[in-house]
Amino acid sequence: MDKSASPITSDDIRSLVRPDHVHRRAYADAAVFQLEQERIFSRLWIYVAHESQLRKPGDFVRTRLAAYEILVTRHTDGNIYVLQNRCPHRGARICMVDHGNAKVFSCPYHAWSFRPDGSLDSVPHRKSYPEAFSLDDPQNHMQRVGRVAVYRGFVFATLNENPAPLVLHLGPMVKVIDNLVDRAPDGEIEIADSSFTLEYQGNWKLHLENAADIFHPSFVHNSSVAPARRAPANASLLDQDQTREMLLANGFGTAEWEGIQLNGFSGGHAYMNNIYSKGVLASQDADPVVARYRAALTARLGPERTAQVLAMNRFNNIIYPNLVLNAQYQQMRVTVPLSVDRTLVHIHCFRLKGAPDEMFHRAVRFLSTLGSPMSMIFSDDVEMLERCQQGLTRDVGPWIDFSRGIGTDRRSQDGSISGAASEMPMRIQFEAWVSYLTAEAV
Amino acid sequence: MLDWQTQRRIELFLFEEARLLDAGQFQEWLKLYEPQGIYWIPSQPGQTDPLNVASIVYEDHAILAIRVQRLLEARALVLTPMPHTTHLIGNVEAEEAGDGGFTVSAAFVCVEHQGDRQRIYSGRHSYKLARHGDSFRIKMKRVALLNSDGVHTAMAVPL
Ligand code: FES
Ligand SMILES: [Fe+2]
Repeated sequence: MDKSASPITSDDIRSLVRPDHVHRRAYADAAVFQLEQERIFSRLWIYVAHESQLRKPGDFVRTRLAAYEILVTRHTDGNIYVLQNRCPHRGARICMVDHGNAKVFSCPYHAWSFRPDGSLDSVPHRKSYPEAFSLDDPQNHMQRVGRVAVYRGFVFATLNENPAPLVLHLGPMVKVIDNLVDRAPDGEIEIADSSFTLEYQGNWKLHLENAADIFHPSFVHNSSVAPARRAPANASLLDQDQTREMLLANGFGTAEWEGIQLNGFSGGHAYMNNIYSKGVLASQDADPVVARYRAALTARLGPERTAQVLAMNRFNNIIYPNLVLNAQYQQMRVTVPLSVDRTLVHIHCFRLKGAPDEMFHRAVRFLSTLGSPMSMIFSDDVEMLERCQQGLTRDVGPWIDFSRGIGTDRRSQDGSISGAASEMPMRIQFEAWVSYLTAEAV
Repeated sequence: MLDWQTQRRIELFLFEEARLLDAGQFQEWLKLYEPQGIYWIPSQPGQTDPLNVASIVYEDHAILAIRVQRLLEARALVLTPMPHTTHLIGNVEAEEAGDGGFTVSAAFVCVEHQGDRQRIYSGRHSYKLARHGDSFRIKMKRVALLNSDGVHTAMAVPL
C-alpha cells in the first residue's frame, strides 16, 4: 500500500482520470488522500450538524472536518461556531462525547474553561500567569476554524476562508433539502436521537459511488431479495411488511435498468428516480397513516402545494462530497474519511414535526433495515466496498473501468442524464474530483 | 430462587441455542422462537423503545425467517468465507415470570473468525421464555451489546 505521502501535482491528478477509466491510485495512494483532505474536505462546504441538535446556547456536536476533530456549538449570542477540540494550553483533547450541552468547556488538565464561542472564560490561579497573559488573547482560545453556513437547518462548515456561497455549491441539490423540510406539517424537521455509525476498510469515494450505482443491487443483494420473494406477504406483526418490501426492491432486472433515470450535475452531485414503489414505501392514500399525514400537510400548504411536495420522489440524493439524502423516507448518510482506506458512515433519520408518530416509526425502521450494522442490505454493500479496496490496494491492473453507458448519456442544462445502467454518476464525480483537486488557489 | 433442576434446564436451553448458532444451524435456531417471538439488539444502552429509537435488529419470527434464509443462501456476500463462531454463555440468572414463563439474564461473549480476521462481541442477553413441554420457547431475546452505540463493522451471525 502507498502509505508514504509524497507531494502530488495537478498533472499527476489529471493523469489518473480518463473519460472512461480511473487509476487505482485515486483510491489507494495516501498522497492523493492528503490532497483530497486539503482541496475537497477543507475547501468545499461540508455538512457538520443539524440545527435541531443546536437549539439552546451551549448545545454542541462533536464531529470531524477534514483532518480536525471539531465541536459545532451554539453560543449565547445565538451564533453557531466551529472549534477545534483541543486545548490551547498544552494541547489536550477537551470534549470526549459526541453531543450534549455545556455552559463552558472545561479542560480537565489544568482547568482552563472556554465559552461555547471558544473564548477563554477563566483560568485557575490567574496570578501565576505572566502579566502579558490575557484571557482575551485569541491565542488562548479554543481555535475557531473555518466558516459556517446554514441552509434550512442543515449546518455546513468549511476551512475555506473565501468559499463560494453555500447555495451555489448545493446548486440543484437545494431542492432535496427543501423537499425534506417542506414535508413536515409544522414546517420543521428534527434529527432523531438514535443513529448508526459504521466503519469500513475502504476509500470514502467507494460509498459515494455505490450510492449512485443502481446496477449492483440484483447481484450484491440477491441473498436478501431471493428469500424475501419466497416469504409470505404481511407475515410480520411489527412493520406492515416494510422490511420485506425494502428487501424486494433490490430485485432489479432489465426493466429497472432501463426505466430508472439517473441525474448528475457538475460539482459531483447526483440522484436517481426512486426505487421503492410498493406497500408502505409508496405513500398511498389508502394507507390511513398517509391519509392523516397528507391531511396535516394540506392544512399548512393547501392541496396543490401538498401534491407537489409529495410528488418529488428522488432516491439517494448525493451532495458532493459526502452527504446522501432521501427526503421521502427522512434519511441521511454522512461519510467521514479517516484515511485513504478507512471511512466512517453516519446514518441518521429525521422526524417530520406535525406528522403522525407512525411516520417516524417507519423512518426509524427504514434506518434499521438499511443502515444498521446487521442490515440485510448494507452489510453486503460494505463487503463489496472492502473487497474493492483490497483489490485496488494491489499494484496490478492499475486502471478501473467506468465506461458503462458512456455513449448513451445525454447532456442536461446543468449536468447529465442517463439510464440506470450507466456509470454516468461516477464519471460526473470524477470530473468534479479532478477540478477540485487541480484548483491550485482558492 | 428457582429449583436447581429448572435452573439447569434453562441453562441447557441457552447452551443449545449457542450450539445451534455455532454450528450454523440457523433454521433450527429459529425453531427455538415462538411464532410471535422477537429478537432484539438495541442501538443504545438501556433502550426500552423499539419504535422511536433505531435498533440494530428488532424482528419477529417472520422477518427472522428471511434473515435465516439469507444466512443459508450461498450468495450472502458478507458470509463468504463463512464465519465460524463461539458463543459463550455464562452468569445465568433465571426467575419465574408472572405468566408462567421465565425471565433470564446471562452474560455472553461471541468470538467470530472469518477469513483473516477475528472479532469479539460481548454483553448481556435477557430472555423471556415460555414453557414448551420439557423445554422452552423464546418469546423475546434482547441482546445488550457492550458497544451497542459504538462504531460498528458489518455483522451477520446472530448473537
Ligand atoms: S492542557 Fe488544557 S488546561 Fe492545560
Ligand atoms: Fe447496495
